[in-house]
Amino acid sequence: MMVSRSGRAEAPPDTPPATGARRRPDPLRLAAGVLVLILLAAGASTDRFLTLDNARAILASTAFVGITAIGATLVMIAGSAVSLAVSQTATVVAMIFLATQPLGLGTSLLLALLCGVTVTAVQGAVIGYWAANPIVLTIAAGFATGGVATWISDGTTVSAEVPRYDVLNSTPLGLPLAVYVLLAVTALAQWTLRRTTAGRQMYLVGENRAAAHAAGLPVGRVTVVAWAFFGACIGLTGVFLASFNTGANSALGGTLTLDAIAAVLAGGTAIAGGRGSALRTLGGALLISIISDVLLLRGYSTGIQILVKGLLVLAVVLTVHLRSVRGRR
Amino acid sequence: MTARVGVEGLARSFAGVPAVRDLSFTVGAGEIHALCGHNGAGKSTVVKMLSGQIPPDQGRISVDGEPAELRSRRAAQRLGIALVDQELSVVPALTVLDNLLLGDIDAPMLNRRRAAVARCRAVLDEIGLERIDPDRPLSSLSIGERQLVEIARALSQKARLVILDEPTATLSDVESDLVFAAIRRVAARGCAVLYVSHRLAEVLDLCDTVTVLRDGRRIATTPAGELTVGTLIEQMLGEAPHRLAATRPPDPDLGHALRIDHLHVPGRLADFTLTAQAGRIYALAGQLGSGASDVLRALAGLHPQATGSVELHDRALPLRNPVGAARAGVAFVSNDRKSEGLFLDKTVAWNLVATRLPSLGRAGVIRAGRERRAARSLAERSGLAEHRLDDPVLTLSGGNQQKVFVGRCLGRDDVHALLLDEPTRGVDIGGRAAIHRLLRSAADAGLVVLFASTELEELLELGDVIVTLRDGRTVGRYDGDADGATLMRDMTHGVNAT
Repeated sequence: MMVSRSGRAEAPPDTPPATGARRRPDPLRLAAGVLVLILLAAGASTDRFLTLDNARAILASTAFVGITAIGATLVMIAGSAVSLAVSQTATVVAMIFLATQPLGLGTSLLLALLCGVTVTAVQGAVIGYWAANPIVLTIAAGFATGGVATWISDGTTVSAEVPRYDVLNSTPLGLPLAVYVLLAVTALAQWTLRRTTAGRQMYLVGENRAAAHAAGLPVGRVTVVAWAFFGACIGLTGVFLASFNTGANSALGGTLTLDAIAAVLAGGTAIAGGRGSALRTLGGALLISIISDVLLLRGYSTGIQILVKGLLVLAVVLTVHLRSVRGRR
Repeated sequence: MTARVGVEGLARSFAGVPAVRDLSFTVGAGEIHALCGHNGAGKSTVVKMLSGQIPPDQGRISVDGEPAELRSRRAAQRLGIALVDQELSVVPALTVLDNLLLGDIDAPMLNRRRAAVARCRAVLDEIGLERIDPDRPLSSLSIGERQLVEIARALSQKARLVILDEPTATLSDVESDLVFAAIRRVAARGCAVLYVSHRLAEVLDLCDTVTVLRDGRRIATTPAGELTVGTLIEQMLGEAPHRLAATRPPDPDLGHALRIDHLHVPGRLADFTLTAQAGRIYALAGQLGSGASDVLRALAGLHPQATGSVELHDRALPLRNPVGAARAGVAFVSNDRKSEGLFLDKTVAWNLVATRLPSLGRAGVIRAGRERRAARSLAERSGLAEHRLDDPVLTLSGGNQQKVFVGRCLGRDDVHALLLDEPTRGVDIGGRAAIHRLLRSAADAGLVVLFASTELEELLELGDVIVTLRDGRTVGRYDGDADGATLMRDMTHGVNAT
C-alpha cells in the first residue's frame, strides 16, 4: 500500500523508496555464501583440515576472543562503537583473579568479574549519560587501566602460589570449558537482545540516539547495561587467559582489543549501531579462526594470516555499508 | 524605477499540485519588495526558482532586462542573485573572513591576504559590523551577528538581487534592527531586495512594495504606504477561515489535568502559563521562533535550561529530564520525524511499541505474543495496513510515517498528555485528516492534547483552545471563538496590534 502523495504546495513530496530494491539478492547473504563455498573448497583440499582434532582446535582458538566479542556486540549495537581498553581490562582482571586465589575459586572469580564489570560499566555511564566519545574515553581508560596493571604487578608476572583454577582449564567431552562458556554467553546475549526490554532498547538507542532521547527512553541506563555485560565478558576472558597461562603480566591482554572488534565486524554488525546480533558475532569469530587455521595448515606465515584477517574485515564492512546505503534509497 | 528583476508567467507544480501559478512581478533597483502569504501560498517555491534551486515549469525570469537561465544556485549567483536562507549556511568553525570568501566565485585561487582582509573590513563596516574582527571564529558570534555575516557575504558578491527568506525569525529585536539597517543600506546602493517574512508589521515598516500570494497566485501588489496590517491580512486570507469543526466546550466537571506555571526558557520563551483540561485539544499558534514549539520541548524535558512549575494530574512534572517526563505520562511527537522521531531502519511494529516495552512483558522480558497483539491493535487504530507491520518505516509515505509516530503514543494507560510539534508537517491531505481524527479520538479518550502549529486551518480545525505566541510571549487566548484573521494578526504582529 503506497499512498500516492499529492503533497502540499510548499513541500515537494519525498519520494517513497522503491520496494523493488528488496527483491534483489542481499549482498551480505551472497558474500557469506561465496565465502562458505571458498572455505569448503579450501578446507577439503587442505591436509588435516577435516579432522576432529582440527575442529576442536578451531573452537578452542575462537573461545577467548569470542567471549569478549559477544560483549562488544551489545555495546556496538547500542551505538557506542567500540572500546579500546579491552586488553588492559582483561589483564587487570587476570591479575586480581590470580592474586586472590588463596580466597578460593568462587571468591576470586566473583572479585575478578566484579572488577571487569565495574571498570567497564563506569565507562559506559560516562558515555551513556554524558554522551562522551567512546573512542577518546576508552583510550584514556585503557592507559589508566594498563597503568594500574603495571603498577600492581610492578612490571613482573603475577602468579598464584596455590592455584585453584585448574577446573577452568578442564576439557569436558574433549572441548575446553571456555568453548561451553562462549556458547552460553552467546545464547544469553542473543536472548537479551531479542527478548528483553533492555536489548530492544539497545537497538533503538543505537540506531537513533536523538530519537530515543526525545522519546524518553532510558538512554543512559541502556548504555550502562550494555557496557556492564561487556565488562562481564571481558572479565571471563581475563579469567580464562589467567588460568590458561598460569600467570599474568602487563602484556597478557595482547591484541584482544582489536581481535574482538574484528570478530564483531566480520559478523556484519554495523559499527554505527542499531543492527547486528550475537549469533553473527559468533559466526564472525569462527570465520576468522577457520581462515587462520586453513592458512596455518597450508604453511602461510603469521603475517599473511593477520593480513587476510584485515582484508576479511574490510570486505564485510564494505558489504554491510553497501547494503545499508542501498536500503536507504 | 527600472526593473532589476522581472518575473513573468512563472508556474511550478509538485506531483501535479500547482504551487505557483502564472506569477508576474518586478523588483526595481533600490526597491525593497516584500513577498507575503500564508503557509503554503507558494513563497518558498518562488524563492527556490529565483535562486536557481528548482527550475520553473513555465515562465520567464529576467535580470536587468536580459532573460536569465537559472539552472543552479551557482548560475543564479553568477547573475548577481544572492540568497540569505532561513537556515544559516555559514560555517561556525571558520573565521568571519573565511566565511565571507566562501562561495565567492570571484575570489582568486591564490588569495592575497591583505587585500582580502581590507575588502572584508569594508564589507563588514558597510553592514554595521564595525566591531567584528575578520579573524574571529564565527562560532564566537551571536546568531544575529551570523545572520549579518551571511547578508554581508551576499553583499560582497556584488549582488543585483538579494533574497531574504525569513531572516529575522530567530533574532532578537536589537539584532533584527541591525538586519533592517543593513537591508536599507543594500537597497540604497541600488540593489533590489526581495524580502519574505511572516512578520507583517516588520514588512510594512521596511518594504516599499508588498506582493501577496495566495494558493500560488498573486493577489495584489501594493505600495506599502497604502496598506495596514488589517488589509494585508485580508489580502493573505481572502475570505478568512472560520471554525470548521465543532469544538469541545469547556467542561466544569473536569479538573485541570495539566497546569503550566511560569514556564521559562532563556532566550526562547518567557513566562508561559496555561491550565488544560483532559479531553480537550489545546493549540499553540506561532511562527518559527515564537516559542510555541519550545513550550512542548520544555514539557518533554528537552530544554536543559527550562524553569517553572508544571503539574500533570496533581503530580509535579520534572523539567529538563526526558526520561522523567515520559515516566510522568508525557508523550512527545517532535516536528523532526526523521532525526528526532522514528527509528527509520526498524519495522513499523518495532516503532509502534518502542515506547511501551515495559508493558509488553514482565521483569524486562518481552512476550512475543503480547507484542504482536499490541502492534496489530495500534496499527488498526492508527489506520495502518497490517501487512506493513514488518516493513521498515523508511519505506512508508510521509503520512503513514506520521501515523506510526502518533500511533506510538496512543492506547497507553500511562500517558496523560500528548504533545505534538507540527503534527502534520510533510503529510498529504488524506493523511492530515486521518491524523486529526487520531488526535480528536485521543482527546476523547481522556488525554490532554497540546500541539504547536503554524497553519491556520489546522489550528482552527483542531484547537478547542488556541493560544497565540510571538517572540516567546503569549499574545492571546481564544476559547471557542477565534477567526483566522485574529490569529494571523497575533502571530505576525504581536501584542501591539491595532
